[in-house]
Amino acid sequence: MKSTQYTEKTLEHFRNPRNVGTLEGDNVAVGRVGNPVCGDLMDIYIAVTPDDRIEDIKFQTFGCGSAVATSSMVTELVKGMTLDDAMKVTRGDVADALEGLPPIKMHCSNLAADALHEAIKNWRAGVKPEDALKTAEDETCRPHPAEAATAEIANFAAYEGKGAYTAVEDPAALADQRVVVLDTGDRAAQLAIDLTDHTGRVVLMTSAKDPSVSGAMRSALRLSDVKVLAEAQPLELRGEGELERILVHDLNEDEEYELAADAFVVLK
Amino acid sequence: MSSAKATDAGAAVGPAGVVYADYQSSKPVDPRVVEAMLPYFTQNFGNAASLHGVGDAATAALEEARARVARFIGAEPAEIVFTSGATEANNLALIGYAMRNRRKGDHIIITEAEHISILNIAKYLEKNGFRITRLPIDLYGRVSPKKLRARITDETILVSVGWASNEIGTIQPIAEIAETLAGTGIVFHSDAVAAEGLVPIDVRETPVGMLSLSSNDIYGPRGLGVLYLRKGVALAPVLLGGGQERGLRSGTEDVASIAGMAAAADIMAAEMPAETARIKAIRDRLVARVLAEIPDAHLNGAPLDHPGGRLPNNAHFRFAAVEGEAMVLSLRDAAIAASTGSACSSKTLEPSHTLISCGLLHEEAHGSLEFTFGRFSKEEDVDRIMAALPGVVARLRELSPLYQKPPAGKALGGGKGPA
Repeated sequence: MKSTQYTEKTLEHFRNPRNVGTLEGDNVAVGRVGNPVCGDLMDIYIAVTPDDRIEDIKFQTFGCGSAVATSSMVTELVKGMTLDDAMKVTRGDVADALEGLPPIKMHCSNLAADALHEAIKNWRAGVKPEDALKTAEDETCRPHPAEAATAEIANFAAYEGKGAYTAVEDPAALADQRVVVLDTGDRAAQLAIDLTDHTGRVVLMTSAKDPSVSGAMRSALRLSDVKVLAEAQPLELRGEGELERILVHDLNEDEEYELAADAFVVLK
Repeated sequence: MSSAKATDAGAAVGPAGVVYADYQSSKPVDPRVVEAMLPYFTQNFGNAASLHGVGDAATAALEEARARVARFIGAEPAEIVFTSGATEANNLALIGYAMRNRRKGDHIIITEAEHISILNIAKYLEKNGFRITRLPIDLYGRVSPKKLRARITDETILVSVGWASNEIGTIQPIAEIAETLAGTGIVFHSDAVAAEGLVPIDVRETPVGMLSLSSNDIYGPRGLGVLYLRKGVALAPVLLGGGQERGLRSGTEDVASIAGMAAAADIMAAEMPAETARIKAIRDRLVARVLAEIPDAHLNGAPLDHPGGRLPNNAHFRFAAVEGEAMVLSLRDAAIAASTGSACSSKTLEPSHTLISCGLLHEEAHGSLEFTFGRFSKEEDVDRIMAALPGVVARLRELSPLYQKPPAGKALGGGKGPA
């Protein structure tokens, strides 16, 4: 699917979004994600019943077609659900309900599930709507923490154990493989460095300009043979029955490309 | 054809004063081959199709040469089809086989490491209704027979895997692939141009169905290639005309060039073991020196000691934060001929597809530099290259906004692996 190619269902939700608006009352909470500077901002309002069900849900979204469509879809999916069940709805579920999203849109515009989860957390924490709607000033344009990457990559599960790993117990098992480790902090960076004893190709992929590691680890990385790939976001895993390529979004150039790889590690 | 004579001939070969380290792009014709060709320009110049004595002499020369070329790869003379080069041999193999055998299936498997001629022929077949699967390669550039097996379908009629990569020199597991395909009815073609003369090729030991060869790549004349076609493999011709080469390749045979290739094949068969050992020593010394003397230098492709193998003449590097073409131009000023990426794809701005398939990033693939040695390379070539290359890389890094000096304490040597 080309980045501009939406499914009919996505277009339909974009043209006729469900549950647009806001809610008021003592039983209402709001979740806000995104940043207008980055091109999308999404508010999801939930009205909660005494037995923890989503009685009503509304949204307002500033953003592209898929931002609007995913917001619309998530409101449809969870209306009437218990809060516990609604917390389990993932970005992948929303994308699936829209019969797929272009890979480039998977991470940058599929904020709806995040906004929903935020609203539920705010309800449980007693955060008032007016406080929840204050946009954090220092929020970056890449609001998705690396830990969420396994959820962002809709098909991570399909390759789990077949090139996609959430833990590496024995680095030697990845000998001679092209290993891409997602930057989730010092532990991931240390794993990447350890892996260079077993294979000639280890990439530490980070969506930021630099890996989110301590100063000491930064020096260790510079001394190592780890290749740091900055401003890159994994979008999709590809391959015949096992991981062979990772579709990567170059955040600097806003381009997609395939990176040949045998293993993709996102430490839990 | 003594080795002393080869050395004398070597002194006269190549542009004076230039270190030529781009043998994968083009090779000089061995002076002994030129000598063997000369009678066919002015004395024995007949058309092999003619009925008179001059024609018969040409026929005799043609068939004698065919037998010698066949012997070079362990084939029968009747299995040799002369073409205008390896590109034409590849066209005849893939297009000819696909068109003739379409009713058996429409699926063809190639690899991501193929020479551009195979890649473009595959695109053409795709446009004409065939389905093409491109087999991925590992970080060293090798395909996996297991991954091949996973992609074979009932509709698969042809698998084409280059014997070795013309870029990074990785040798493919051809015997294993042939074994995988044995008994399936799927025909196995291999473009052996990068490998011929550097590794032994014998179609009796490695049962490929078709094999493409180039005359120049064994120091014969350019403009001549061979398609080895195993008995029983049926093709449709791609060039039509007077029905030469058993109707598979029309056009009057170029007896002079064919005699030249036969001479080149004989010389190669006799000298290959000693020659490849000598070339490998030169290559190994360059790799060792580059990795030891230039910071942030890496060897692309398989390690020199990889069990699967690497062509003995190939050294393919990348240097962090330096662009390949800038290096080639700088080396040219130092009278050193090297290449970057694939010579054939340098018309496009795309980095080498093979390096990208190995898992390199575009920025890394753009920084590649390839040296390939051959029959007339000398030990001193390495010293000449190393007198220039560290300075070239250092100067370009000074200009580069991307380069950060490695911190003190970082060992030279490019790390454990090649990629």
